[in-house]
Amino acid sequence: MSLQAQSKMIDEQGRYLPFIYPEEIPFWEATRQRQLKLQRCSDCHKVWYPIGSNCPHCFSMNWEWAVMSGRGVLHNYVVMHKAWTKWFESRVPYAIVQVELEEGARLTTNLLDCKLADIKIGMPVEACYEDISPEITLLQFRPRKG
Amino acid sequence: MTETAQALRDKTAIVGVGLKMGKYSDNTALELAVQCYQEALDDAGLERGDVDGIIQLAYGYDYDRFLEAVGTDVRYAYQGWSHGRFIAPMLQHAAMAVATGMAKAVAIVHGRRRKAYGQTADAEMWRQGLGPHGESPAYGAMGPVFGAAIAAQRYFHMYGGGNEDLAPIAMAFRKHARLNPNAMRRDPMTREDYLNSRWIIEPLRLFDCCQNNDGGACIIITSAERAKDCKKPPVYISGMQGVHAGRQFHNLTLPGLGVAQQEVYKYKPTREDLYAYQMAGITHKDVDALITYDAFSPLVLFGLERFGFCGPGEAREFVKNGRIELGGELPINTSGGLLSEGHMIGWNLFIEVARQLRHECGERQVKDAEIIQFGSFLGESVIFRR
Ligand SMILES: [Zn+2]
Repeated sequence: MSLQAQSKMIDEQGRYLPFIYPEEIPFWEATRQRQLKLQRCSDCHKVWYPIGSNCPHCFSMNWEWAVMSGRGVLHNYVVMHKAWTKWFESRVPYAIVQVELEEGARLTTNLLDCKLADIKIGMPVEACYEDISPEITLLQFRPRKG
Repeated sequence: MTETAQALRDKTAIVGVGLKMGKYSDNTALELAVQCYQEALDDAGLERGDVDGIIQLAYGYDYDRFLEAVGTDVRYAYQGWSHGRFIAPMLQHAAMAVATGMAKAVAIVHGRRRKAYGQTADAEMWRQGLGPHGESPAYGAMGPVFGAAIAAQRYFHMYGGGNEDLAPIAMAFRKHARLNPNAMRRDPMTREDYLNSRWIIEPLRLFDCCQNNDGGACIIITSAERAKDCKKPPVYISGMQGVHAGRQFHNLTLPGLGVAQQEVYKYKPTREDLYAYQMAGITHKDVDALITYDAFSPLVLFGLERFGFCGPGEAREFVKNGRIELGGELPINTSGGLLSEGHMIGWNLFIEVARQLRHECGERQVKDAEIIQFGSFLGESVIFRR
């Protein structure tokens, strides 16, 4: 099944799904291939997030989807204790992080394979992937060694 | 000082207020708005026919339905997005409409039945490219509190300290609420109570978060000239500046903290960041009390640093030792604020300004209050004087 813009917001278990807007489809197609792709400006060569119609740095409309290194540092984190739906009850407490990619943009994800007590701002992280449905794979991050 | 900056100084005033907060399960949002409108007209000594402008936030009923209900036609109607960040701009619109002659008197009205409609944030978290507080539901990042928690964490990372530094804020506002018979949260709060309250999103606890409630609010603004004939002393609007927005002003944070795509630097206000003081012809030293948007306690730290009441990273020391309490050097949120008085999308904060400057606050009155600033972390501000 090919990925389409979708507005199903919650799965059978009560887990929230990403709301995929049409212009975000290449991002989600890439995560299914275990690749992190963001838009890169063909004029100023900068990368940005959130996904949009143009380069917010120089306002150019010339850009392309580019594969990122997947490397970054943990720039910020919080620990969610409140279970928003039934699905989250067995998952709290969990971390939500903001990762600064080597390419500059910051992304909001979870941090996998890391105890809450070991989380530190500035720690090196790398992209990893979590399949949450046959069609959707979430970009995630985990600690990076070395 | 430019002519433009002074053009609106003391030209308009708040002349009437109405406020209800609590559980009103048998009322509709529209009824609550109408009741507060009647209360505010009464407070001002005006008739509904004197009001020819209406402003409100969308929340369950709209401006047209309200006007139909109160049987009034107006020549200035405006409705905005239902977020606390837009209350100051709406009050500013009211003042500008009056000052430019587009309306003689504008009523800002609000009615809210939380349970009846759910939280707007529940729908808005699905917005493209993160919700209005940075929400991302697929990653379990939900609620306005998420925006405050990620900002607080960056603040503590850059300047040191941690959650316990927020205790003096929650405790000060609770103290104020205990002197306010209309406040929703009036139980005493010790430091231990604060530290024992449960985590919501670490580094924020339950007592760092405002509560939600039903209710309504109304504020009537007219020209300084007409205000003199109203029942209560006018509360003049002396200076104002808007919500600053863009990549460096991500909600709910202070510029420089590096939340989402913000740059990382130590924020200090420039002259341009403090336009409201220039319009009012004052400095922050003239401010007798500060009223700031406190849906979450860290926003108070950000509000203080946004307007230069202290330097970058100094707010967590500034709020200690009673300095922000009644009787302190700079009393903040004297009604108890959103944290303890209640949350009427923030309108109750402006109503507290009006009541303080009329000197009708009884036990919680700021002695000889002459100038009060509403000023919040996104840079929005209105300076009032009696
Ligand atoms: Zn560019």
